[in-house]
Amino acid sequence: MSHDATPPEIVSLPMLEMYGINKRYGAIRANEGIDLSVAAGRIVGLLGENGSGKSTLMKVLFGMVKPDAGTIRFKGEILSDHTPREAIRAGIGMIHQHFMLVNAMTVVENIMLGWSRAGTWLRTEQVAEQIRQTSKTYGLELDPGALVSDLPFGHRQRVEIVKALLRGAELLILDEPTSNLSPPEISGLLAVMQRIAKQGRAIIFITHKLGEVFDICNEVVVLRDGRVVGRSPIANATRSGLANMMVGREVSSGLIRIDRPTGPEVLVVRDLGLRDSSGYQRLHDINLTLREGEILAIAGVDGNGQTDLVEVLAGLKFPTTGTITLNGRNLTRTTVSDRLTAGLAYIPVDRGTTGLVPGMTIEENLGLRDFNRPPLRRGVRLDHGSFRKEAKAKMSEFGILASSPDTPVQTLSGGNQQKVVVAREIGRKPRVLIACQATWGLDPGATRFVIDQVIALRNRGGAVLYISSELDEVLMLGDRIGVMSNGRLLGVVPRTEVDITQIGLTMAGSSSEVSTLP
Amino acid sequence: MSTSLPKDKEVDRSDQVDQLGAPTGSVLPAAFGRNADFWRRTALASLAVSLSFMVAAIPIIVSGKNPLLAYWALARGACGSVDSIAFALNKSTPYILAGVGVALCFRARVINIGAEGQIALGGIAASWIALNGAALPGQLLIPLALLVGGCAGAGWAAIAAVMRLARGVHEVLGTLLLNFVGLLLVSEVLHGPMGEVGAGFPQSPLFPEQAWLPPLVPGTDLHIGIILAIVAVFICHLVFWHTPFGFRLRLLGSTDAAATYAGVSVVRGLFSVMLIAGALAGGAGAVEVLGVHYRLIQGFSVGFGFNAVAIALLASLNPIAVLPAGLFFGFLETGALAMQREIGVPSSLVFVIQGLTMVFVLCALGISLRRQRM
Repeated sequence: MSHDATPPEIVSLPMLEMYGINKRYGAIRANEGIDLSVAAGRIVGLLGENGSGKSTLMKVLFGMVKPDAGTIRFKGEILSDHTPREAIRAGIGMIHQHFMLVNAMTVVENIMLGWSRAGTWLRTEQVAEQIRQTSKTYGLELDPGALVSDLPFGHRQRVEIVKALLRGAELLILDEPTSNLSPPEISGLLAVMQRIAKQGRAIIFITHKLGEVFDICNEVVVLRDGRVVGRSPIANATRSGLANMMVGREVSSGLIRIDRPTGPEVLVVRDLGLRDSSGYQRLHDINLTLREGEILAIAGVDGNGQTDLVEVLAGLKFPTTGTITLNGRNLTRTTVSDRLTAGLAYIPVDRGTTGLVPGMTIEENLGLRDFNRPPLRRGVRLDHGSFRKEAKAKMSEFGILASSPDTPVQTLSGGNQQKVVVAREIGRKPRVLIACQATWGLDPGATRFVIDQVIALRNRGGAVLYISSELDEVLMLGDRIGVMSNGRLLGVVPRTEVDITQIGLTMAGSSSEVSTLP
Repeated sequence: MSTSLPKDKEVDRSDQVDQLGAPTGSVLPAAFGRNADFWRRTALASLAVSLSFMVAAIPIIVSGKNPLLAYWALARGACGSVDSIAFALNKSTPYILAGVGVALCFRARVINIGAEGQIALGGIAASWIALNGAALPGQLLIPLALLVGGCAGAGWAAIAAVMRLARGVHEVLGTLLLNFVGLLLVSEVLHGPMGEVGAGFPQSPLFPEQAWLPPLVPGTDLHIGIILAIVAVFICHLVFWHTPFGFRLRLLGSTDAAATYAGVSVVRGLFSVMLIAGALAGGAGAVEVLGVHYRLIQGFSVGFGFNAVAIALLASLNPIAVLPAGLFFGFLETGALAMQREIGVPSSLVFVIQGLTMVFVLCALGISLRRQRM
């Protein structure tokens, strides 16, 4: 994809101008003196690590958060003290990372929901026609009659885009829109965004993926610690320059994997199968062994049984067939807490609803899986002092940024939230760590942190099962590497014998040539 | 920022409203939050109460009465004499006992609205003990009747819990319908084995005097029930905030996935919190028959269950705050009759005040949820 040369007359008339936006949350400065201007027909990339203030700035713009200071001028009008509803009326549309759609309704019903122009008596057919028109103009390929729950993820996002466009959005804010999309969906979305900009609308594109910025943005603004640390037309920007601006330091090459002989077998999984309540076989004869001091990294496209595998291993589900042995002890039918005691740590894929309790504090979340054991439990009581002490130790060891252990986890940035999970699971010095998509949704700095922690654990002699849909991560981390496809674990080989083409083929589902190896 | 992978999870417990973009998991407990912002919640509750009094003044004015005089009569009727205070404390006791159980349930995302039926069963069981244990001395008979009452309430709650866990019948439905069964059971025993022969009203014979709850202040009707209620509230407070069991309940209030991940059994948690709430409500029923009526009366528990829910909500589901919330309801209802007698404002106005208080509390809740979502 290319970026067009900028028509100069458009630059002189910014559609949006934000001046001196300040926002504090307690001791944390989320936004400090941020200026941002976006002209019609332009795509502005807003880059920054998690917690750099991108989301806060956009919430300020969309009227979800009141700034402490600053001015917003949109199409010549001052916006202040506005609600999201007023922002929409003014012509600002926001595509949230988590979609605001009702799954049980159709596309057209979702778009009519809360939209006065859909009529008091719903004009379903006219609106459907408008959807068809818009989706044709921008190449969205949406069927107005389709049920949202039947749509793939990328299409649900398109529903959100059409919803914003039909409501007259001239400025679209897309908050990390590509983080859940497959590569073809991403290129489709980027093309749509370019078409939208060509129509004279403006886009603010929040991301931390540099490649996408270079693909479609006209200019880029980099935030760090709540301030603008760089802005430039894309033509003058370089990848390494932007990356360094984002993290504020040279991105280190990371911890070195030391060559160490692998120890004895710790985790042995034999013929593991899982059939769900509807009779569907989700896991087929999984065989794997983990030795001390090694990482078995498993690649695969999401939804090929990875979540089932880790949940069965961690004790959240019980297998229908097969055995799980840790240090010679059969854990197949034991509870989650038995497995914890046996030294099995688990970083789940989903920190919002499984790995963390967002409404609880950092110290409570750090003790989430250990509250029933000393030192957190003393007799029949919880020892709040120990909660505090353990939390302080882990917060400094793992660099969790928060004003106090008493802070609710939901107020932390995604990266800091994941640090809480990592601190709890790796901090317990497990014999075996099972990590599933441990870097999901994290920026480069936080990703680096998680990976370093995993390698450090491995270097200390821990055994790690690392599951990721990011092939780069799998290749970087794995001492042995395998692929999950259709509920089977395929082609586990040492890292020295990895054949990338073969892995790609296996991931894509042509697994016939690959034999099943333990 | 990203907090969860979008994926279609089986939604098992009903109040997850992720489809509407609200926070997944616990709407109720998330809105009520932590112990920490105690003062803000207290202020909100007081504000809700004051607003409801102001709004309830409108119909009083419309009917040509002075609301200030009416409220003055209400206040004097509630706290004007030792007798009225004793009456109000007695009235508050079952509310507090049942309310604190409901608060614990709601905290664990178990929507138990069956306090009424559990109170009824507690009353029946305690009455049976009181009527048949005439041979026992009071020091034995009263604790035994309270204990058996509590067990009966717990058993009644357990039925709903089992239906929920074994058959997937939602506890809202189970507990609600069991309320009606409980009330009918009271009628049934009063028209049959436990009824007083020759009485014009469905009631049991008077209990032997050693089964009556001893008075707390001699010369008044005030019985020791209020002490039991206060002790129960403090125990629930300690258990909820300071024990591993309480931590489990709080985890259950989040999501089932998080609770399971933390090694908490959803089944055991749901069952035990229902048993506790049932036992507290059953105890409330026992206190009511042993301390106030000295006999089992048809319909003695009517309305208690829903008041318990209202009180739990007014208390922000905070066990310790159930105490003032329950007392508020008890004193309000006590003053109502005086207001009707002296000013001519119907006593049912207090139900309007109670209802409005709930509306304002829920409004405050909605606002804080909105803020939180941002």
